[in-house]
Amino acid sequence: MAFGIIIGLMILVLAAVPVAAVLGILSFVLDNISMGGTLTPALAEIYWDKSKEFILVAVPMFILLGEIMLRAGIARRMYAAVIQWVSWLPGGLMHANIGSCAIFAASSGSSVATAATVGTVAYPEIRARGYNERLFLGSLAAGGTIGILIPPSINLIIYGLLTDTSVPELYLAGIIPGLILSIMFMLTIMIACLYRPAWGGSKIETSWGARVRCLPDLLPPILLFVAVVGSIYAGIATPTEAASIGVCMAVVIAAAFRTLSFQMLREAFEGTMRTTAMIMLIVFAAIFLNFVLGFMGITQAMLGFIADMGLTPVQTILLIVVFYLFLGMFMETLSMMLTTVPIVFPIVMALGVPEFSDVWFGILITVLMEAALITPPIGVNLYVVHGIRARGGHFNDVAIGAVPFLLAMLVMILMLVAMPDIATWLPTLVYH
Amino acid sequence: MFAAIHTRLEKISQYAVWVGGTALLAAALMVTVDVLCRKIFNITMSGSDEYSGYVFSATTTWAYSFCLLHRSNVRIDALYNLFPRPVTALLDVVGLSLLLYYMSYMTYFAFISFQNSWVSNSISITTLGTPQWIPQLFWVAGLALFFITLCFVVLYSLIALLQRNWDLVAKLAGVPSIIEVMEEETAGIDVVIATADAPASEK
Repeated sequence: MAFGIIIGLMILVLAAVPVAAVLGILSFVLDNISMGGTLTPALAEIYWDKSKEFILVAVPMFILLGEIMLRAGIARRMYAAVIQWVSWLPGGLMHANIGSCAIFAASSGSSVATAATVGTVAYPEIRARGYNERLFLGSLAAGGTIGILIPPSINLIIYGLLTDTSVPELYLAGIIPGLILSIMFMLTIMIACLYRPAWGGSKIETSWGARVRCLPDLLPPILLFVAVVGSIYAGIATPTEAASIGVCMAVVIAAAFRTLSFQMLREAFEGTMRTTAMIMLIVFAAIFLNFVLGFMGITQAMLGFIADMGLTPVQTILLIVVFYLFLGMFMETLSMMLTTVPIVFPIVMALGVPEFSDVWFGILITVLMEAALITPPIGVNLYVVHGIRARGGHFNDVAIGAVPFLLAMLVMILMLVAMPDIATWLPTLVYH
Repeated sequence: MFAAIHTRLEKISQYAVWVGGTALLAAALMVTVDVLCRKIFNITMSGSDEYSGYVFSATTTWAYSFCLLHRSNVRIDALYNLFPRPVTALLDVVGLSLLLYYMSYMTYFAFISFQNSWVSNSISITTLGTPQWIPQLFWVAGLALFFITLCFVVLYSLIALLQRNWDLVAKLAGVPSIIEVMEEETAGIDVVIATADAPASEK
């Protein structure tokens, strides 16, 4: 039976049926088979109860915050400012790509919009300064992925909701891996450019005077980040409260940059509501599936199956990693998490290894999702970066350019498995 | 006639989204004032968390129609893009019909839930004691709007399919290309998008 369900699920997914409908119908089928359809009437009740949860309000708030910041017109100035600070490194502007994408993605709900916005500003520099196009494009695609790990991350909120894991702890846990990953990306660029100096483009003249002068352009996103994330860490505000404060700050910043208008707000509202609806339709379907699975004891069957395979905990985790890397080649990242976490999460918890905690797995799966964003053949960031190439070119340029960064992510994943403390040390220090 | 109804629904869903966005911004302001009062003046004004929860659940359902009409529902298109247009058109209609199937259950049970709250006059277990039917009315209204829009789009795209009008099916229910997604998500932002055809992809 389980085999038939999985085949049916795969057919629906590959037939491009909306993911929310796939999850909903799967829940109905499972309910009919095992519980005689008695759970389905609770569908709307569960939706209503969960949709009132205060933590979920943080999702549209963070999206709105990002939409307003995107439209506040700070991208160009911020990129120019980041250049001043990091372009002395071998690889020049490519470090600014990573840095700007990381800062921007952290405050934006859409990795598509982030990669497109920073990419538009950065792209003309490839020819102007003679960069290796592939590596340059790869750095843009990879930089855009960091946002889902560095708080405030929407993916971590949804993971937290689905698995009953503390979101503030997840936010603390994401910081160190996020920083390590950014540094590894920059090291990747430096190593490539030390090996082939011609890839690194012409030198950019900077001075300490210029660096200090451009600081005001970096101030808005940094202030916002510190206020939002800082207030969560300091225990002053919950993630939803921090997001709400962030939205108000973003409006003030847009007003200061003279970009605030009714037209701008309307566009931000449309973007926010569309993205929220897109995410929530799947999230609520996944919550119901989670509920049905809980009744069915399918998790017990999976645990038995895993136990029969006789794998050690580390081997099981590595198997899960391979599974996600494979899935990431074809699947959109959020759907990938929502369809699999209800089954995979209990398996990880049942391993009984204290280091492989709920918080730790949240970070691991987020890095795996980041990898999926730049894994060909279907990695959305690759397509977006390809989409801003005004001169055109072959898609493979972006895919090949992203490979070194993908390798860096794989190293990060192995590090997380070998040393779970990278993720759990900070939240343990603060909360336990 | 169908085109006119489609345009009308687009307009309605756009208004719904504007109202929802405004409500969200107002909720952000309310929560911010609440936090500031609590931290600076030590005054606790309970309720902003509960109200913003209602705003969230209602505005989300109000946005579903907009999301549908802008073809933003998440679909996995790894194989989809390899098929010829008649097949993708068929998949579009089948996919939306299955979404309609799922949402008809959701809307029906949501209405039952609203009805129960109305009849039993149930209130929230908080100091506010909000009668649940009030926020649930907005919530159900959004679901109903989505249900109606879905019925219409399924019918319209089915007719287009039978007329072998593949372009129209794609416009109504197809998976947008990545260029279309980028144009949509960066509307009003200073972004240059190459017009060369990039392969379509997921969101």
